[in-house]
Amino acid sequence: MSGEDQLDHELEEPKQPHGGDYAPSVAERLGIAQRAGGVIVPVITTIVAFLIGGIVIAATNLPHGKEPWYHPISSTWKAYKGIFNGTGLNWLFPWVSGSDRVNAAFNLQQTLILTTTLIFTGLAVSFAFRCGLFNIGGNGQYIVGATLSIWVGASFTNLNPFLHVVFAIAVAGLGGAAWAAIAGWLKATRGVHEVISTIMLNWIAVWTASYLFSQGGPLQNSTNTAVPVSNDIAPGAHLPVFWGNPVLSGLHVGFFIALAMPVLFWVILNRTTLGYEVRATGFNVDAARYGGINVNKSYVLAMAISGTFAGLAGSMDILGWQFRFGQIDVSVVNIGFIGIAVALLGRNSAIGIPIGALLFAGLVQGTSTRNPAIQQVFDPSLAGNLSGIIQGLVLLFVGADVLILYIWNARRKLRAAGPRPAKPAAEGAA
Amino acid sequence: MSTFASSFDAARRVALPRRIGIAGILSALLGLWLALPPLEGRTIALPVVFGLLGMALGIWAWTRGEHKVGGGAVIAGVFAIALGLVATNTSTSNLSGVVDWGVLISTMFIFATPLTYAALGGMFAERSGVVNIGLEGMMLMGAFFGILGADKLHSWPLGMLVGIASGGVLAFVYAIFAIHLRADQIVGGTAVNFLALGITGYFYIKIYGANGTPGTGIPTIPDVNIPGLKHIPPGNFWDNAFGHLNLTVWLMIALLFISYIVMFKTSIGLRIRAVGEHPRAADTVGLSVYRIRYASVTVSGMLAALGGVGVSAFTTSFSENITAGRGFIGLAALIFGNWRPLGAFAASALFGFSFALARRLQDIYPNSAEVLLLEALPYVLTLIAVAGVIGRSIPPASVGRPYKKQ
Amino acid sequence: MSEPPVLELRGIIKQFPGVLANDHIDLDVRRGEVHALLGENGAGKSTLMNVLSGLYSPDEGEILLNGKLQSFASAKDAIRAGIGMVHQHFMLIPVMTVAENIVLAEEPTYAGVLLDFGKARRRVRELSDTFALAVDPDARIQDITVAQQQRVEILKALYRNAQILILDEPTSVLTPQEARELFTIIHGLTAKGTSIIFISHKLHEVLEVADRISVLRRGRKVETVPREGATEESLARAMVGREVLLRVEKQTAHPGEVLLDVKELHVRDDRDLEKVAGVSLQVRAGEIVGLAGVDGNGQSELIDALTGLRSVRSGAIQLEGKSMAGASARDMLDAGMGHIPEDRQRRGLVMDFSIAENIALHDYVHEPASKRGWLYPNRLIERARGLIKDFDIRGGGPRTHAGALSGGNQQKVVVAREVSRDPRLLIAAQPTRGLDVGAIEYVHRRLVAERDKGRGILLVSFELDEVLSLSDRILVIFEGAIVGEFPPDTSEEALGIAMTGGGRKEAAVA
Repeated sequence: MSGEDQLDHELEEPKQPHGGDYAPSVAERLGIAQRAGGVIVPVITTIVAFLIGGIVIAATNLPHGKEPWYHPISSTWKAYKGIFNGTGLNWLFPWVSGSDRVNAAFNLQQTLILTTTLIFTGLAVSFAFRCGLFNIGGNGQYIVGATLSIWVGASFTNLNPFLHVVFAIAVAGLGGAAWAAIAGWLKATRGVHEVISTIMLNWIAVWTASYLFSQGGPLQNSTNTAVPVSNDIAPGAHLPVFWGNPVLSGLHVGFFIALAMPVLFWVILNRTTLGYEVRATGFNVDAARYGGINVNKSYVLAMAISGTFAGLAGSMDILGWQFRFGQIDVSVVNIGFIGIAVALLGRNSAIGIPIGALLFAGLVQGTSTRNPAIQQVFDPSLAGNLSGIIQGLVLLFVGADVLILYIWNARRKLRAAGPRPAKPAAEGAA
Repeated sequence: MSTFASSFDAARRVALPRRIGIAGILSALLGLWLALPPLEGRTIALPVVFGLLGMALGIWAWTRGEHKVGGGAVIAGVFAIALGLVATNTSTSNLSGVVDWGVLISTMFIFATPLTYAALGGMFAERSGVVNIGLEGMMLMGAFFGILGADKLHSWPLGMLVGIASGGVLAFVYAIFAIHLRADQIVGGTAVNFLALGITGYFYIKIYGANGTPGTGIPTIPDVNIPGLKHIPPGNFWDNAFGHLNLTVWLMIALLFISYIVMFKTSIGLRIRAVGEHPRAADTVGLSVYRIRYASVTVSGMLAALGGVGVSAFTTSFSENITAGRGFIGLAALIFGNWRPLGAFAASALFGFSFALARRLQDIYPNSAEVLLLEALPYVLTLIAVAGVIGRSIPPASVGRPYKKQ
Repeated sequence: MSEPPVLELRGIIKQFPGVLANDHIDLDVRRGEVHALLGENGAGKSTLMNVLSGLYSPDEGEILLNGKLQSFASAKDAIRAGIGMVHQHFMLIPVMTVAENIVLAEEPTYAGVLLDFGKARRRVRELSDTFALAVDPDARIQDITVAQQQRVEILKALYRNAQILILDEPTSVLTPQEARELFTIIHGLTAKGTSIIFISHKLHEVLEVADRISVLRRGRKVETVPREGATEESLARAMVGREVLLRVEKQTAHPGEVLLDVKELHVRDDRDLEKVAGVSLQVRAGEIVGLAGVDGNGQSELIDALTGLRSVRSGAIQLEGKSMAGASARDMLDAGMGHIPEDRQRRGLVMDFSIAENIALHDYVHEPASKRGWLYPNRLIERARGLIKDFDIRGGGPRTHAGALSGGNQQKVVVAREVSRDPRLLIAAQPTRGLDVGAIEYVHRRLVAERDKGRGILLVSFELDEVLSLSDRILVIFEGAIVGEFPPDTSEEALGIAMTGGGRKEAAVA
């Protein structure tokens, strides 16, 4: 009986969209993918993306003149090695010593600072995802948070340092929340697709912040009026640094705050009625509505929480190591976009996101212009774009759940085919 | 007896509230126009009177169910009064510096043209049922490879072709993921944008290095000079507005009409729309949903890339992320324009005009920080537009849904 | 009858993962006959027809048309060969016109490019004159009635010169009167030599219209019999494989106080059209009120309004004497409203939630499931475990995803949730749609049992059989208004007349 029912379900004509189609939402598809792919697919995705990135390097380093035939391979290898050393992860190898070790420590601090921020923006994207919303406005929310941190950090200088930091962080979170909630509200009341609205809000944030920090702008540096940069925040508003140089971007305690965030994320989603509502809305809006859930409220709140994470990311960077914000900083913000890749690679899970954040932080730091290690082997601005390509490839492959299901099924077939006991190697091969 | 053709919207009758609403918009615009050069009525009375009249007519239309146009008239009225106030309080010389209609219109075309290409591209994809968030990336490809092609092949037509092809290739890759692999189209489109940013940035640095594209020596797409316009009054208006537009602008206008005919007057268009509305119905009569979608998405990428070619053609150079969100604005223009070519152009023109105005104001007031805020104006307008103060648009029914063949 | 069959299927096998949908099916269709294909949901009818219309390719077996072997790679091949299919859910594009829908993919053009609208209209008119199928070529599909849409579908097939027309459950969206008109059309077509394959699970209409009847059961063909000599009982036995109860056993109702009192309700749909136009009705404790009507006459909007999912334009809703003006879905649920929704996959369940989470869908905000915003998942699981036992839900435990269950068990989850909340009033919309016979019997027995516990039940169904066998009173809805009340022993015919507006003629084709 149940077999027939299943069949009936399978064969049921897809309902026509005008009759209210049952189209899987983003979150629902991710649910499918999550069950199908587990850990293995993000890993495969990453490997494939890096391999293609390597092919790009190799293809653009074809030997000409007196370079040996293996030049493409060796230059690719060198580039990857440079990227790896740039992340500072070689600090973990005990045989790295002397000045290499000092550099490695510095690099690792940078990687972890970026990991901190990316955990926040990754969670921001994920939280919205779980409600079926695609928040690509992380950049704008980050800018709002950072700008507000600057304002609080550079004003209110009489405050007790602890309160000052808490105040600056809280205002940044609220600002990000409000900025993102606009998109949630537009979605709820006007049916505006959040992708369009968050992109527009990004640009509005960019230009507003550019104005604030421009020459003659309200938040521009009060002593040096020639540069379009803000005032420095008060020393009391700095987040304490626990590893490395406190003024030259050592690792600040925001790192621990970031590590606590996935727990908070998980608790909100799985242990509160709000989380239940958000997930129900994300999986199936119609059923959520039918269940008595105020879906519009879910949208606004999910965006607000999502924006809070992104806004907090801004405060972490400002209070942790940047201490000032300028027009140029505003124009190059892309942390919200990287958060998308982090979230998708981390499968929107509390465990996956920190791992994804570390990976992309390593990738960005390893290819960054601030990384001296790579400059010897590879033009850093070239490397930065390479990391963009790799991010794009990760997104492209992670988004293709059919591909994931295909791989997954192939793996199962592989297992089922042979009477041999399932061996882990087969997983790697699939 | 109604004719078959009358089933097409063009011939749809315009109801009274709608006409009144349109009259309201026109009244508001008239009020504003009276305050601006060349007439420059130096009194606030005119914009206020006509603005209020426009708002009144708008409210009348709104209450009779014509929300879209009525709301538009109300907003136009508010804008007319506000801008009228600004205009009458500005010195005449500054005012005529900013509001030189001829220059404003030609600048508007410079900004609106890429948007329109993107919107037209988006129309082909979305009418066939595929959301193309990746328009931005496809534009970027066109912008870079257009310049690269023109530089290396020493020919601007070849450059255009290379640019168009690059967008088409990226769109085709996207189509594989969106159609065959049934990837989430929003995620896939975002991925395409990342990829394009990385690819163009990578090759830009690799080929041109830190110095950027050479400003001179690259063959550029020529302007079309129409000599006769100089002699048509008033003043230089016609000459400034239409006398020296770039070839890509005229090409855009031609494509606008071609797209309209293809989409609404040919069997190809009928099939594209059928696939976007109800793919299974199209499948059951033997149309290949996948093939039509592949073709539409690829054409979409080629059109968007042509827009990108236009972007870099106007500046004859490329810089990283030069398109700066124009693909997304094009998408918004498409939605605002109700998935129709002329509507999309009208919306693009509106956004383009606000870009042009911001640019003019910056030229006149180079040292004012506030002018930077005006850069945000097109984005705010886009947001207001899609927020449907002016009413929701109805997308093709199956847009964004991957189709699974049985 | 010595003429060879127009169509012959030999040993068709179609396998899906885990299911053998068609198992060695042989079938022959003669020229100008109506050949009915009878079977339950999931018996393999649709699969067979999808094979025939080129949407699926069979794993094994042969298709012969006029004695010639065919192989269909796509729908296009089947259409070329003269097979036309009218799907149960129409394959029409709502925003396009009748003519555009008919000519799609075979458009008349000038020079192969520009559409020739005039010629398209002429062809449609010619066809509709020849086969007496009145339609307006310029009307948009979304503006015409379902019966007219069906005619468009038939014209679409005829425009493509179909020799064999497959009608998949064609009467499911029609009133008995419209169904009768369809039968006339069918006989007109067969008189001109077209063969019809008529798919149905309704015994009486098969007996009325078919020349021969093939019965499918669990993927196999059980028999092919001529209409003469076949009876409802014999067909039902063949279809289900055992004697079936066609009526539900139940005692006389003892209606109590008024639970639901609706007065002059007006509701609009998403397109702002008035779909419920002044409905007044009452449901008492301990009775089942059946709401009969053809799909699209305002039932969905009425249910949505009653459950707080759609705003009310004017009128009053009282639940147990309490006014529910402006109530949200949450208010309605908390006031004692239960609702088995029309579409369990779209609305009734969150497929990616576990059974436990689905069972909490209404009550997650209340204790014991949650307290001050904190959710207690263990309590959800405990509760689910109890209900899984009580309602005999098979195929998984509390943590199993709803999507992994069979249709019947999914519906049991929905029923368990709604009934266990102890609602005073239960709205059951299409509660047995798409279920197999066993599950249908279960749901029917359960509804009667809940009635006997003193709940008021509003049953909304498009299946007249279901309404007739379960209801204590029957209301008929037509174009958003209640047009009559009937006792349960009313004939289908009488209900059918009421369902079309009391014999009022359907508005003439524009």
